[in-house]
Amino acid sequence: MGLSSAAAGDGTQLCVFDLRRGQQEGQELDKILFFHPADCPILLQLSVIGLCEGIVTFTRIFSPEEDCEVIESEKHSHVFYQAETDIWMVLVVEKNKENELAWRCNALHGILKEAHSLFAMFHGPIRTLLDRQPSAELARGHLRTFITDYLSDFNVGKKLQFPTYRDSLKERGTVQMLTVSREVALDVQSLTTVLGSCLGNVTCQSLVLFEDLLVSTTLPPDDTLNLYTYAVLRLTPRALYANASSWSYLRKGTSVSAGPTSSSSNGTTAGERPLLRDNLSKGKDGFVAADFAATEARGAVPLTPILWFQQAEERMYLCIYQHKSLTILLLVPASSLINGEEGIAHVKKQMLENASQKIVTVEQKLTRGWGGENAYHVSGYRYLLVDPERRISRASPPGKVTTLAKDSLLALNMLRQEVDLEKSRYKRGDPCHDKDFEACIRTKNNAWVIAKISRGRELYMALEKGGETLLYASTAVEKFSNRYCEGAFSTD
Amino acid sequence: MLGNQIQGGLGTPGALSHAYVQHPPLRCDIPDIRGLFYDDANKFLIAPTADRILYWKTTLSTPSGPPNSDPVNEGPVLSVRYSLDHKAIGIQRSRHEIEFRNRETGETCSKKCRADSETILGFFWTDCPTCDVILVKTSGLDLLAYEPQSHAFHLVESKKFNVSWYLYTHESRLILLASGMQCTMFTGYQFSAGGIVKIPKFEMMMSKSEANNKPVLAADDVHIVTVYGRIYCLQLDRVSMSLNLYRFYRDAVVQQCTLPTYSSRIAVSAVDNIIMVHQIDAKVVILYDVSLDSYAPVSAPLPLLVRGLPINSRQVSQTADSQSSAYGGTIYGEGWNFLIPDLICDAENGLLWKLHLDLEAIAASSSDAPSILEFLQRRKSDPSMVKTLCLAIVRTIILERRSVPTVAKAMDIVLDSYTRLMKMGGAFPGVRRTHEQNQQSGSQPNEGSHVVSQESSPGTAVRPDVNPDQASGAVNVSVQSNSGVEHAIDSISSDSADNRSDVVDKRHQAVGEASRPLSSGTLTQHGQHAGTVAISPIEMFQSVFTLVEDEMMGDPAYLIAVITEFLRSVSKSGLKAPHNLYVMMATLLARSNRYAEIALFVSNKILEPCKELAMQLMELGLQHPPTRKLGMDMLRERGLHHDYVTAMLQEGYYLEALRYARKYKVITVQPALFLEKAVAKNSAHNLAAVLSFFCEFTPSFKTTSDFGRYRHILSEMV
Repeated sequence: MGLSSAAAGDGTQLCVFDLRRGQQEGQELDKILFFHPADCPILLQLSVIGLCEGIVTFTRIFSPEEDCEVIESEKHSHVFYQAETDIWMVLVVEKNKENELAWRCNALHGILKEAHSLFAMFHGPIRTLLDRQPSAELARGHLRTFITDYLSDFNVGKKLQFPTYRDSLKERGTVQMLTVSREVALDVQSLTTVLGSCLGNVTCQSLVLFEDLLVSTTLPPDDTLNLYTYAVLRLTPRALYANASSWSYLRKGTSVSAGPTSSSSNGTTAGERPLLRDNLSKGKDGFVAADFAATEARGAVPLTPILWFQQAEERMYLCIYQHKSLTILLLVPASSLINGEEGIAHVKKQMLENASQKIVTVEQKLTRGWGGENAYHVSGYRYLLVDPERRISRASPPGKVTTLAKDSLLALNMLRQEVDLEKSRYKRGDPCHDKDFEACIRTKNNAWVIAKISRGRELYMALEKGGETLLYASTAVEKFSNRYCEGAFSTD
Repeated sequence: MLGNQIQGGLGTPGALSHAYVQHPPLRCDIPDIRGLFYDDANKFLIAPTADRILYWKTTLSTPSGPPNSDPVNEGPVLSVRYSLDHKAIGIQRSRHEIEFRNRETGETCSKKCRADSETILGFFWTDCPTCDVILVKTSGLDLLAYEPQSHAFHLVESKKFNVSWYLYTHESRLILLASGMQCTMFTGYQFSAGGIVKIPKFEMMMSKSEANNKPVLAADDVHIVTVYGRIYCLQLDRVSMSLNLYRFYRDAVVQQCTLPTYSSRIAVSAVDNIIMVHQIDAKVVILYDVSLDSYAPVSAPLPLLVRGLPINSRQVSQTADSQSSAYGGTIYGEGWNFLIPDLICDAENGLLWKLHLDLEAIAASSSDAPSILEFLQRRKSDPSMVKTLCLAIVRTIILERRSVPTVAKAMDIVLDSYTRLMKMGGAFPGVRRTHEQNQQSGSQPNEGSHVVSQESSPGTAVRPDVNPDQASGAVNVSVQSNSGVEHAIDSISSDSADNRSDVVDKRHQAVGEASRPLSSGTLTQHGQHAGTVAISPIEMFQSVFTLVEDEMMGDPAYLIAVITEFLRSVSKSGLKAPHNLYVMMATLLARSNRYAEIALFVSNKILEPCKELAMQLMELGLQHPPTRKLGMDMLRERGLHHDYVTAMLQEGYYLEALRYARKYKVITVQPALFLEKAVAKNSAHNLAAVLSFFCEFTPSFKTTSDFGRYRHILSEMV
């Protein structure tokens, strides 16, 4: 029962393995760091990983610089991601007639990347864990709990449901920003300054979110993205109070399927299972922390998690403060905090003392200016805007995207697949020169699906019930560009 | 040389003081004069001789040189007041007679009272519409109107009541009439251009020393003071050694607080809207700024200094005594008389001093930067000094790395003050000018005069307004409309709102409108120097940020935070920040490797788009391509087509640049630049395309040498 058998039913597999391990005959098992489903027979696990390893090695002969990305077979798709040097993550999804055109390889790739980035943020790079404990118990334990918790979000019924063509107007691995007026932006920045000074001499970093949107950050883009992703998954009010029903029936089985691991067998902490839902709750002081009453508390004080920020190259404590729709992630450099939890308590006190008033003001102003879920809906358009360099995207609200016909979405998914290929092809050719690209396609159901890349920024859209000329489509893009993108996609 | 120290006076380190008088004083020790009088309406210092009246205009910046003079009839002089238009002189000859003299014709006429039942306490000229001269008698007030043609006075109205003594200042247009056993019952009138306002009767507080001993309040112990256009009254309670401060409203007189005193004699001056309470016995002065209804002293009691004394090598120290000997008198000596609003007449030595605030010393005496800045921004007397000091304070607190909220508050104050002053200056320019003129010349056209001396000891005593024994006269004034001295009158209820700008606004509403504080003419000074005290965002940039930038290199994060707060203040005040500040901020961020925040600030417009910033982003982007892209986007969004095309070319996007050039008709970029890029790409295809583009786009291109050269290159490539 539980997650493993449920997942096994749809033939989806996800594995993590290390090519540097188990190179001796008979020690192949040592390579496996993680395998989902966990109850998959060892022999099958070995055969999947053996195949993957073989493909990786084989393709390297032809393409030593670029990793193998995907292998399509008759019944399966294998999506590859080299998370760290020689540490691979592979997602195997089963094909059937119904979903043949359903996936976009890059979207699946994004899941692997996201899982690893989040893992590394909480536990550090896998390689470091392996180096610290060559028996790999530690790494396996963390991977098992973490990825299992991560995958729980994709549970629909008894199956793992990965992004499909229906999600072609979404971009994983990007941040969604809240657009604010200059006046409010300055207020937020002023708040950020106060947050930064909570520790005194050393500057604290911070992220400010409103609902599920990012308002400000002081971290570099990659670190911002990881923390933002985590926040939206678990910390924002919506994530915190949503008792995902799909998850609740599995709650009991979680620790069973995660299994006893050497390091975390005596209960879990927020630091060790950051993605475990129900683990977190908002306290009376407004701070969100691991709730030990719900788990097997040993009278311990909830520990503030320490996160590793790859781009900022720093380990930092994460304090989460919430006021109504506003979520503040305060990051305290671990190296500057000698007395651990005591220091954190002090920082929290400082923050409440200095920033409370500003937090209330900012929340009020943001609420006043907040256009609601459909704030970024543009009538007549279903769009996705991506700035890959800044890791930012904006899209039509999901509720509006669902009104598109299946054919439009499938066509758009196809187009995106093509664009992905085109992009990677061009990137290999000339990595520092942006290539502009434009495609407008008339679909079976008389809709337009459009992709446009201009100076590195991407725009995808679907227009139904529009005119039938190409001029109509390009005018629509031009209008949208001038109105909402400051002319970034306007034809020169 | 020890004497050197003395020369500096207040400015000398170690000689701590917040108020000073500037050497040399006006010398009025002319032989033959029979006392000194002060006409506070015209600000004349008056010295009668046997047959002439000499006077100095004290409002002139350097009131020196020989006095003006008027011939008069011989006779005793108890007080002299020129009419407000300076056409007539009123001279109180005795307790029963006042003589008026037309200055043009020399005609005289007299006003007498009944010798048996009443005496004249004094008189003054007024700009009230219904009368010109007010005669104060022990039996009440006589309101007289003056007819210049016939040089005659007729009685307009008589107000009957008993008067023990009275107090009048032209500045406030307010007369207080004391009566009762202890002289603590007061009746008051304001005779202003807006009409006559009767102040409700009120009683001043007097502590009792012993059960049956009831002290009598003396005129010397009550002082009317006008600051910020509001009228206050200070009353010394000798028994409890305290000073009661009252404020006048149209419908009430309200005691504001009780201030401590350190002297059984006090004098009050108003310098630049600061109340100076001179503790004469203690020889110190305490300053109060009542602008925000705070009655805490601005600083500790400190002595008054004389500045600019000539070097005197014999001087050994710079105590008050030595200063005194240096100028030949005693500070706070017996002969000192305090004239309204900010003059001191040393009647013993025949000297007239003007009081000044030492803003520099006051600024240096407090570390509370925001409140000092507020204080300074309210000052008018030395705008360039105020400005210099304010800028220095802001610089200092940044360099000292005071907490960001403190610095933010300080900058808020500076900018708030700027907007307020600009608004006042901008909204009523005409009016303001009128006030200025009045301020400068207002004292000359009119007359009215005040007591300054005692008959018995000529040349010694210069007295303030009131002299129970003597009289000062009241006369009239031709009504000067809009003379900058309207007296808006408010009720207590609107008290809280009466900050300066309010007062100014109100003056433009009906003057007689009820329910406002009783205010007087001093506020005219506002706005006069508005343009110069105010510190604009550009000046903040030039005189603060650019100057501290180098020193803050070690801690750019702090300076960034400060600039953010500054931008916030600027935006809150509805002002524009200088573009170069954005350039500085972007540079600081880039130097701290905070490129992500540059992008954030550009996208939410904290860094407002402008060409300067766009160029700087391009420059900074040489190390960080996404930032360069931000700069290019900004060029495009600002419609800076030439720069955008050039930038695209530099990036190697020459085909895109061509397309853009065609769309926006950019002909200013040299074709050779495009052609060179195509050649560098070694693509005959592209070069041919660029060539043919220019042949079409610029018809004259075919005749240029570029065309020939690149065609040749193309033919070789093919």
